[in-house]
Amino acid sequence: MYDSSFIGWPLQVVLILGSLLTILFMMRRIRQSKLQIQDSIFWIIFSFLLLVLSIFPELTSWVSQKLEIASPINFVYLVIIFVLLINQFLSSVRISRMDARLQQLAQRQALDEKYRAEAGAAPAADENTGASAASEEPAE
Amino acid sequence: MKLLIVIPAYNELESLPGVIADLQTHCPQHDYLVVNDGSTDGTGALCRQNGWNMLDLPINLGLAGAFQAGLLYAWEQGYDAAIQFDADGQHDAAYVQPLLDKLSEGYDIVIGSRFVTVKKPITLRMAGSFIISFAIRLVTGGVKVCDPTGGMRVFNRRVMRVLANNLNYPPEPDTIAYLLRCGAKICEQQVSIRERTAGTSYFTMIKSVKYMAQTTLSILFVQWFRKNDLKEEAAEHV
Repeated sequence: MYDSSFIGWPLQVVLILGSLLTILFMMRRIRQSKLQIQDSIFWIIFSFLLLVLSIFPELTSWVSQKLEIASPINFVYLVIIFVLLINQFLSSVRISRMDARLQQLAQRQALDEKYRAEAGAAPAADENTGASAASEEPAE
Repeated sequence: MKLLIVIPAYNELESLPGVIADLQTHCPQHDYLVVNDGSTDGTGALCRQNGWNMLDLPINLGLAGAFQAGLLYAWEQGYDAAIQFDADGQHDAAYVQPLLDKLSEGYDIVIGSRFVTVKKPITLRMAGSFIISFAIRLVTGGVKVCDPTGGMRVFNRRVMRVLANNLNYPPEPDTIAYLLRCGAKICEQQVSIRERTAGTSYFTMIKSVKYMAQTTLSILFVQWFRKNDLKEEAAEHV
């Protein structure tokens, strides 16, 4: 059988304080607008989950028992690592997308700048550049 | 065939004048475009001063991003073909026309290869090349690409469209392998490559092991779950 009070009170106090501080830290950052609201939702839920687990550790032992996991702490690790793993992957996806967008923007900007310069310059001005032949017939 | 010679350049102040002179001597009939990839050494100013045709990227994107910008220009300006040409002086402008001639025989890509008629030396430096060649053979059912890392490649408009407008088409061996599997017609033609004249390569030896591992993994595993952009293009533009 599992002991429902598998963590002693000193540890529990530390855990509760820890999760409260985490919540405060995150909320302050969100208030300071370091994070977009849509991104903050995950962290708010995550930090509340930590708080709930530290206040009611029995929850963990109950679920572990149902799932026949040898030790409740394994269940905690399993869930948290998995949640963070998925979050990390989604972050990678976003970084990739941002990279691609940044690249597109830079390329577009350079091309538009070039087209503007070419439109602005007199046709004779680019006679000695490689661009001149672009409007000519193919050299075949 | 209207060809654009795309020259990605990152801090190539010293070697670029020689490269442009070489191009103007050996292929004055073709247009070139220097893609200044956010250089910090005044490469951009040099191009402006001399009136060289330049695309000036606002930030450094790396070789793939810079080359793609050049391809995008070629695509939008209606070029029939584009060739990747190094700004460091390793490529010889005399080979541009022969490669283009080969392309007009009906290929999608012609790779300027160091090892068609010359045997690939068995050295540590070539170990990566051997492994990548082998990986390409595996996934394409035996297609032999002797010099997969050869940087002098000509692309026709069909492939140019895909490369210019999509993510994940860097001018690298895995793209070649992938395009082969998509049904592109690729051939190699012998060229010789000079040693660097000046500047620093995009490649340091430290990076090359990582590069090789990444490329090989990409060829062997990632390509299987990509969609065939070349096929879709063809279907759209018949």
